[in-house]
This record gives sequence, structure tokens and C-alpha cells, in this order.
Amino acid sequence: MPLWTRYAPVDNETLKIHTIVLVGNLRVNDQIGLWRSTHKYEKLPYTAPMPIGFDARFLPALFTLGLLCEAGRAQNPPPDFAPLLNRYCVTCHNDKLETGDLSLENRDPARPASAPDIWEKVIRKLRVGMMPPQGAPQPDAASRAALVSWLQADLDRAAARKPNPGRWPVHRLNRTEYANAIRDVLALEVDSTSLLPPDDSAFGFDNNADALGVSPVLLERYISAAGTIAALAVGDPHTAPGSETFRVRQDASQDVHMEGLPLGTIGGILIKTTLPLDGEYTVNVKFSINNLGAMRGLEFPHTCETTVDGERVHIANFGGDRDFKASLANITTTAQEIEARCSARLQMKAGPRRLTVAFLGESAAQNTMRLQPFIRSSEDTFDSLGHPHLDRVEITGPFNPAGPGDTPSRRQIFICHPAGDADEQACARKILSRLIWRAYRGKGDQKDLDRLTALYAEGRSHGTFETGIEVALERMLVSSRFVFRIERDPPDAAPGAIVPVSGLDLASRLSFFLWSTIPDEELLQVASQGNLHEPGVLDRQVRRMLADRKSDALIDNFAGQWLYLRNLRTQIPNSVEFPDFDDNLRQAFQQETELFFASVIHEDRGVLDLMNGDYTFVNERLARHYGIPGIYGSEFRRITVTEEARKGLLGKGAILMVTSHTDRTSPVVRGKWILDNLLGTPPPPMPANVPPLDESNQKDGRVLTMRERMEAHRANPYCATCHKIMDPIGFAMENFDAIGSWRTKEGGTGGAPIDASGQLLAGPNINGPVDLRHALLKNPEIFVGTMTEKLIAYALGRGLDASDMPAVRSIVRQAGRDDYRFSSLVFGIVHSTPFQMRIKTNEEGTLPAARTASSRH
Amino acid sequence: MFVTKKSLSRRTVLRCAGVALGLPMLDSMAPAFQALGKTSAAPLRRFGAVFIALGERPGYWTPKTEGDNFGFSPILKPLEPYRKSLTVVSELCDPVDGHAVTVAAWLSGSVPKRTVAEDVHAGTTIDQMLAKQIGQDTVFPSLELATEDFTGYIGGCDPAYACAYMNTLSWKTPTEPLPMEINPRIVFERLFGRPGTAEQRVARMRTDASILDSLQDEVSGLESGLGPKDKDRLNDYLENIREIEQRIQRAEKQSALAVRVPGAPIGIPESFEEHVALQFDLLALAFEADLTRVFTFMMTRDVSQRVYPNIGITEPHHSMSHHGGDPAKIANLVKLNTYHVELFGKFLKKLSETPDGDGSLLDHSMILYGSGMSESNSHSRLDIPTLLCGGTAAMKGNRHIKMPKDTPLANLMLSIGQSFGVEIDKFGISTGKVDL
Repeated sequence: MPLWTRYAPVDNETLKIHTIVLVGNLRVNDQIGLWRSTHKYEKLPYTAPMPIGFDARFLPALFTLGLLCEAGRAQNPPPDFAPLLNRYCVTCHNDKLETGDLSLENRDPARPASAPDIWEKVIRKLRVGMMPPQGAPQPDAASRAALVSWLQADLDRAAARKPNPGRWPVHRLNRTEYANAIRDVLALEVDSTSLLPPDDSAFGFDNNADALGVSPVLLERYISAAGTIAALAVGDPHTAPGSETFRVRQDASQDVHMEGLPLGTIGGILIKTTLPLDGEYTVNVKFSINNLGAMRGLEFPHTCETTVDGERVHIANFGGDRDFKASLANITTTAQEIEARCSARLQMKAGPRRLTVAFLGESAAQNTMRLQPFIRSSEDTFDSLGHPHLDRVEITGPFNPAGPGDTPSRRQIFICHPAGDADEQACARKILSRLIWRAYRGKGDQKDLDRLTALYAEGRSHGTFETGIEVALERMLVSSRFVFRIERDPPDAAPGAIVPVSGLDLASRLSFFLWSTIPDEELLQVASQGNLHEPGVLDRQVRRMLADRKSDALIDNFAGQWLYLRNLRTQIPNSVEFPDFDDNLRQAFQQETELFFASVIHEDRGVLDLMNGDYTFVNERLARHYGIPGIYGSEFRRITVTEEARKGLLGKGAILMVTSHTDRTSPVVRGKWILDNLLGTPPPPMPANVPPLDESNQKDGRVLTMRERMEAHRANPYCATCHKIMDPIGFAMENFDAIGSWRTKEGGTGGAPIDASGQLLAGPNINGPVDLRHALLKNPEIFVGTMTEKLIAYALGRGLDASDMPAVRSIVRQAGRDDYRFSSLVFGIVHSTPFQMRIKTNEEGTLPAARTASSRH
Repeated sequence: MFVTKKSLSRRTVLRCAGVALGLPMLDSMAPAFQALGKTSAAPLRRFGAVFIALGERPGYWTPKTEGDNFGFSPILKPLEPYRKSLTVVSELCDPVDGHAVTVAAWLSGSVPKRTVAEDVHAGTTIDQMLAKQIGQDTVFPSLELATEDFTGYIGGCDPAYACAYMNTLSWKTPTEPLPMEINPRIVFERLFGRPGTAEQRVARMRTDASILDSLQDEVSGLESGLGPKDKDRLNDYLENIREIEQRIQRAEKQSALAVRVPGAPIGIPESFEEHVALQFDLLALAFEADLTRVFTFMMTRDVSQRVYPNIGITEPHHSMSHHGGDPAKIANLVKLNTYHVELFGKFLKKLSETPDGDGSLLDHSMILYGSGMSESNSHSRLDIPTLLCGGTAAMKGNRHIKMPKDTPLANLMLSIGQSFGVEIDKFGISTGKVDL
């Protein structure tokens, strides 16, 4: 790591910061020389000797960022930046033009704390070199650096003098958190996507309190979900037969072994479900039917197999001469008859069950006549040969129910069993207090228990003891105490007072941040004993929570949204352009990036490894896609990445695919994704009423390359301002196609060679993804700062305000001294003012500092 | 209190409710329903709005001739059988260009506030005004349905505009967007309840009422020690509790209806066509059984990335919509627009074939079909595609009305509101009316 990104010790509280603040051209040139000598990439620019007196205006902005590494020492009197602003900024950002809705006219840079929202915007643009725009006169790098440094330092000092935790609105549990809480309270896995409507998101995350509104439909669904869940958890003996369907995606290849299915099988599906009662269930199997109505693969004999919890419960043969001939006579009835053969009515136990339906693997010799042009086995929708494909499995039941059985949720709920009528009330209260303790996160009171007991009594009056518990449970799951996270201000605090959150509230803040669920028993105990605020205790809990597998919630929910991984599932690459693409590859993309992110959390690596980690996780399908030899089988393993271009997130198929269109790459989308999610500088929104472009992709009878089309785009001055910033970043990644395959030519072997060169912001010329990655990491604080902003917004469940930025900078500084380990970011957030404190609002609900987040983007 | 209001006839009625499982199609079940209100002169009393994202091809949508007996355009051709019920209105426009804004402006007739934060603000949409006017006696004042799962579109909202603007058509108040349901199975369970016997359903309804009572007691006691915004959120919850209580009361009153519960759909079909058909079937059933009189249906979501391989379209709709003048893309857009209209036509067919009072369901319903933009390449807000169907009591039909250029779409919303007897003389940014 270059010298200038190392940090002197920082005492955060008083901000006595000893930093390398660089002023003057000489030091700047020194730094460049240093960078050159430590950098090994020959392709990068600036390898020529730097002339003395080099005009620092040309200094690549991103590269100067190292100069801004620390909040500057308090300077007295403040430097006079007004001339600099007047010369380079106020030309556009004045009261008359208000370019970008921002005026710096008459703003005093000597007192940034008087308008933190304005000056945080300035910092954001300046630090990555986005302003002044390319082509406009630029201040020299040192002045730019000094300005940013001063602004940050002064804002941070003001924040230290007057801490502002910002808002903490009431949160409604989103449906992921709801399902996790059900899992923890009732030992019951439910699919909340089938029970509750989807949640809106804001600032990139669906745990944003402001976006989690309420509506009659939602309440109605809470009630109906509570009924379904309570019946399932208790094992309501009157549960009527119901049906659940599990589909295989149509683009899945089923001629290979699927991960999680029995060895020796190919294709099929793994089903995890919770059955309500002991009893009989039908497991109906439906096969894919081709466009001509025929079931596939009847020319050869096959075997379908069903297992429950690892044991074979049903097996049937089909295909071969007899079925093939029957199919020629009547394709529909033959397929139905075969489906019936593979379906079964089974006696199954209540509780969580693992079912598989798959085909037994066959000798490769059986398919010698087959020439399959593509990896995706289901690509040809007219094909009636080859392997049979499963379409869906429907599980229906229970029939002839034989009682609730012995399930994890019953064991968790019924901690006592009344011996007689006299015991019932006491036992019910014992059960309900226990459930309330967990579900209401330690905050239930006597009245809450009384309310549930009343519902218990009503249920008991028209049913059994267990009916009573079921009704009370249903009531508990719609309680505002369960569904909302409500924090209260101490009654004696004055409006505007800043107070530490209560121990129980802190416990919930922690568990919803790290686990996306309610606190567990240990955390609740510690919090209710009043010890959680003690640093040693708190840190021990955080370490314990990060080590627990429940912290995988950070992968699904934080990384899944930050990096857009959740979009993978709805992205369907065009099968004409990408006939090999199948669901197996989509799943592999997802798993690779999740395992990669998990390795950073669980091995507590530096988060810079996300960008340049030289390892990854692959299975056979993914290795084949990446061109890595010698990897066999469906399970994932860790490998060392030798290809420079594949290192880190920017080489992952998942990222490359979700930043593409379904039929082609989009340099714009990729550029924007990097600006948004790695550099924390989203480009401004597209202006309204943009005139249409001539986007014709042909000229003089020749198909234009992507770059040529984009150049035409940028010739329009209206569009150029932003596209000059976004597009070159995306161009650097053009060697990866829309599903992340490496390519050297656009549009196939006969196409034009890829030109992956461009300029990064006002900075260096780059060529290809490796250059891009190195340039993005030139100042690691930008990437780490952006990740921290995302992580803290996720932790707080709200968009960030200007008043939060000092906390973000402080976390990044501290983490820098610990190699930016993942845990150092988490500890920084957990100890930050916004996470630890709350501010009492006044009657109008306003806060000392105005919100600026909405205007930032 | 609801227990005392429990109607015994409901129990009797529900006794004939059966359980049917795993049957994906609903059509076969339809005859089991009896249309309500077989009064001799059934007035206009149902409203539906069907939204299509990303516009309709200019030049292929607008009928060539104006006035009565207009000549059908290529895209509208599939609706020719319903000519008599059809009113096409041209030259209406949105207040602003753009994806999110045109969706939020569509039924609200207002300019949504530019924000990505919690302070979203559009306008009360016409369907919600009508829900107040004609929906208060039905179990559901309104239904809001869609087909696209927007949770897989992170980063896919319009920059500078909250996702809420694009995720719904329906705003209960200017600050309260209503979620839209994409899963036919869940719509089904909302309409007809979880599987179970008649007694179980009655018992469940009774339990729900007790639970709501108890919940109301809990939430109304919560406000002390909370900031004003937090109080607002809980007050909203309290309001919702009251609304659902009323809904249960209405469900109990609705004893005249002989409901045979049809088979429940199994979830979200992979095929768009099947998905749309199921949602339309459920809406038609809800109308027929008088479970609701107002719906909004986002048939496709704006910025849709959907491909339509079944009709030979493999480029995502949104990317195709920025066609850049490419004739192949334009041809595909026309094909897709026509396909969507065909699917809508099947819904009209169902409504027109279902008797209701002195006519059909269609006669007594007013169904709006349209999009928030016209030329998708530039997100044009001008001359947006709009048609109304049905509503014989309020519309002459068989007409193509060409309004003066730049007439606000809000004018049409005002006229729709007035047709249903809503007492308003202005709606959003309306400047006048459309004489239907």
C-alpha cells in the first residue's frame, strides 16, 4: 500500500488528528513519483517522467484522493477558499443558474458547519473528481485536496462538538425479517413471499423504515398469515388439505446432477417444506411438455425417484419402446399416465421435510445418438428427445390426518402440558409469557399477556387447550409489538435531547442489523440485565453474532441488495444470444458471489478483498463458463484466481450479468452501477424531456460497435455531461459479455475487436477491467467509504443525512487502522452515534438538522 | 361486538362451500356464481383500470377516423367485437415525461413530488375516489393487482423518484400508495379465504373480529411517548384495523350470495399469458360475486424487462421501447401492443358474456385501458393511448373522441368520477371535462 494511504493514530473523540495534509505542488509530485514506483502495471499512463513544475490540474482526480486521506488538523484562522470557489464553482452554481439545484454563491466555505448538507454535496463531488466537469477549468490538485480536507475536518469537528444521531423512525418488519422472526420464535420455516406482499425499498434497501408503510391490504395479509402460521406451528388437527407447488425453472438444464439432490441422480428438484400434520400426502409429478405437446425423452428407458429425508419412498420406470409407441399414438394420455406412475401417495410426518424428485443417472452410452448443440438442455423447446425434464411437483394433503405429531415448533411452544382443567390457565400463561418474551423482544408487559390470555380463553371456549394457544398465537403475530420496532424516548428528556437507546432497543438494533431478525435468548438476557452498553459486553456480543450463521442474513439482504444480486433471479438472458445460459449457471453465479462475500465476513478479511481477492468459488458449470479446467461436480470449492481480470467482484459473472441488458452489455448501466455502489457518487438523474436520439445501430450498411453507438450518444451535449462520466467506466468492462464470458470481439468471432480503453472521471486513461480495478482502488477510502455508507444505511434502516457523514468518515478512518477488516466496519457502525443514540423529536417531529438525503441523488 | 352481529344465515350459506384443490383454471367454476343485483335497471356501478407500460406505438394505436363508427387501427383490431361498448379518447396528455411520473400521474391526474425518500406525494387516484363512492358496500372497496415482481429490480426505479411511484397505480391518499398483488393464489385467498370447511370459515371470521378488537385496544394505547411521525404511522395502523373490521362486517352481511368456492390457483404461473388470464379471471369473478366494484390492474410494469418468446419477441420490452427508429423493433412493439390488447379483449369477452341485471357485467362496468406515455423512445407525455369500454349508461360508445391538443388526462378522470356521481368539479390538474 502506498505510503500516503497509511494513517497516523486518530483519537476519534477529540479529533486530534495527525495527518498527512499535503499542500503545494512539490509534495504532490513526490506522491506521484511514489505511486509510479510502487505500481506494477505498465499499461497505465503517466509512466513518462513527470516534469518538474507539472501542472497538477492534470493530476488524475482519483489519484489525488490519497492526499485527502484524513480530516485535516484544526486550522486557525480557516484558510480562505472563497476565491477558489468563485473561480471554479460559482460560475455555474450561483443563485441565478442554480445548476444541479445547488448554489454556492454567498456560502461561506470557512464555516461549512452552517450548511452541512450543501458542503457534504461538495465533498462528494470533489473527492472523486466529478466536479468541476471535464472540460471546465480545474483547480490544482493540492487546492482541491486542501478544500476537501478542510471541509471534512470542520464538519467532523462540529459533529464532535454537537453529536447528532439523526432520526430513528418506527420500523415495520419487512417480510424477510418477519419470516426470520417466525423461525426464531416458533422454530418454523415459512415462505413469507407467499404470505405477505412485497415491501417497497428506498435508498437501495427494503428495510428502510420510511418505505415500510402500512395499508389495509397489508394488515389483512398479516391477519391471514398469522392464522396460517399459528395453525401450522401448533398442528391444528382441523387443518384442511392444502396444496403447494414447487417449480423447476424452465431454463434449468436437467441432464446433470443438481446440487443437494441424491448422488447418482440427474435433474429434478429439492423441496424443503413444512407439513402441518402426520398423515397422507400426494406428491404429484408433472413433466415438461415441449411445444408440440409431447413429453421429452421417451425413446429411452428412464427411472424417476422420490425421496423423503434421504430415504427412497417411490421409484418408477418409464420410457423405452412401449411408452414411446404409446406416445406416438396419443401424446397427452401417455404423458399423463407416466406422470401418474411417478407420482405417489405417501404417509409423511408433520414438521420440516426434505423431498427430492429426480431421475436416476444413466450410462452416457445410452445417449450416443444425441448431438446437443448447447449446454442448456432445455434450450430447444420443440425437442422431444434426450432427457425427460421435471416441470413441477405438487404436494397435497394432509389426508386421513393422524395428529399433530412431534415437530420442532410444537416442542418450542408447548413447554408445559396441563394435567387437568385446573392447570390449563396457568400453563397457557406460562407458554404465552415465554412467546411474548421472544416475539416482543423483551418489551411485553402484563397487559400484553392479559390480551393474549383473553384470546386464549376465547379459543379454548370453542375448542381444546391447543385451540386456545393457536388463537392467542395468531393474535400475538399481528401485535404492533411484534410487527413494529418501536423505540420510546425517556419521558423526562427535553425535545432535542440526545439520549442513549435502551439496552433492549440496542439489542434489537443489533440483531436486526446483523441477523435480520429478533434477538436471541442470550442477547435478550444481557440486554435486560442492563449490561449491553458496556463496551466489552457489547463487543463480545457483536463477535458472537458475526460468528453465528445467522449473520448470513448480511449476505442475502445487505449484499443481495447493495450489489443487486437479487436481480439475478428475474434476469433472463436472451436465449438467442446466449443459448448456453441456463438456470444452473444463474444459481452458480449467485452462489459464487455469496460464498465470496461470506468469506470476507466469516474470515474477517479486509473488505478490499471484495475488489481484488485472488480466490473464488466454483463448481463444474461455473468453471466451464469461466474456462477453468479440471473442476468436476455440482458442489462448490475454493480456488485461486490466476486471471487478473477475474479477481474481485468486478470479475464475477453475477455482477457482470446484473449490470447488463438481457441481450447485450450496457456500458452505461455498468458505469452507473460502479458510480452508485463502489464510488458513492451516483450520476444525476436523466433530465426530463430528453430529445430522442438517433440510436440506429447501422451506418453506411455496417453494424456499428457498441462504442460507436455510444459515441454518437455522447456527441449530444445534452447527454454528454453525464455519459462522459459513466460510459468510459463501462467501456473498460466490455471484454465481459452480458453473461460475464470473456470476449475479445463484439458480436462473435467475425465482429469488431473490443476496445476497452477510456478515461476514468477526470483521471487516468485506463484500458480493460484490470486497469479499472486498480484505478478504483487507488484510494481505498472511496470504496470503503461507499461500502460503509451502504452498510450503515442498512443498519439504521434509513437514508443517510449530511449529519451522518462525520460518523461514516470516522468509521472508515478507524477501520483503516485494522486493514479495513469487515468486523472493523461493523464495530465502527455499532459504536457510532446514530446507532447508539437517539434524539427526542419535538412536537412537530422536526430535528435540528434538516434531511438532505433526498436531494443528494 | 362482531360476534353479536354474527349472521346465522351466513353459516347456512357457507355450509355448501366445498374445498377444491390444485385446479389452476377458474373458468369452469364461473357458472357456480350468481350475479348479484338482478335489478331491472342496473346503473353504472363498477370501475376497472388496466395499465400497460411503455406506451403504444403512435400511428398504430389511434383510429384513423374520428367520431361515431370509427375505423379500427391495427393495435385495436382485436377489440372490434366490442365496438359498441368502446370509446377511444385521443390527444390526452400527462403533466410530465418520464417513467415513474407518468405511472403515478395516470390515475391521480397530478404531478408526483420529486423525491426518493418517505415524503412521497402524488394524488388520490380516481379508483380510490370511486371506491369511496361505490365500493363501501362490498367486502373489498377496491382490489389492486399486478403481474411483475418488482423486488427483482433493484436499481430499476426512476432515478430521483421513489420506487413507490412505479410500483402501484393506486393511491388511497396523496401520501398512501397501495401495494399491488401479483400472486393469483394470494388474490384468491383474499377473495375466498384459506381452504377449509364452511364452519371453519365462519369460526375464522369470528376469531379475526376478536383479534382486531383486541388489537385496536392495544394500538390505541401506544401513542404516549412517541414522536409525531411515529404516532402517524401507528395511527395509520389503527385506521387499517378499523377498515378491516368493517370489511368483516360487510362480509358477514353479504349473506345473499351463494358462493361455491372455486379451485385455488397454484401460485404465479411462469407464462405471462397464463398469469394475466388468471388475474383477469379473478377480477371478473370478484365483479360477478360482487366482492368488489373497483379494481386497478398493472398488466405490465413500467421499465419492464419482460421478454415474450411465445410471440417471437426476445428483446426485453423496455430496451425495445427505446427503438431508436429501428423498423424491426418498431414492428415488434406493434406486435406486442396488439398482443396485450388481445389479452385485454379476452377479459372484455368474459365480462360481456356474464349476465348482470338487464345486461352484462360489461354494460354496467366502465373499464379504462391505457398507458402513461405514447412514444416510448422519448417517454412522450403527449397524446397518450386511452380507451374506455362498457358503461353503456354513461357513454354512447362506438366513438373516437379527439380532444384539443394537450388536454390533461385529468379531465377524463374528472368525467369518469362524475359519471359515477362523485361530487367533484376538479380533479388534480384538470382544466375541464371530456364529454363521453
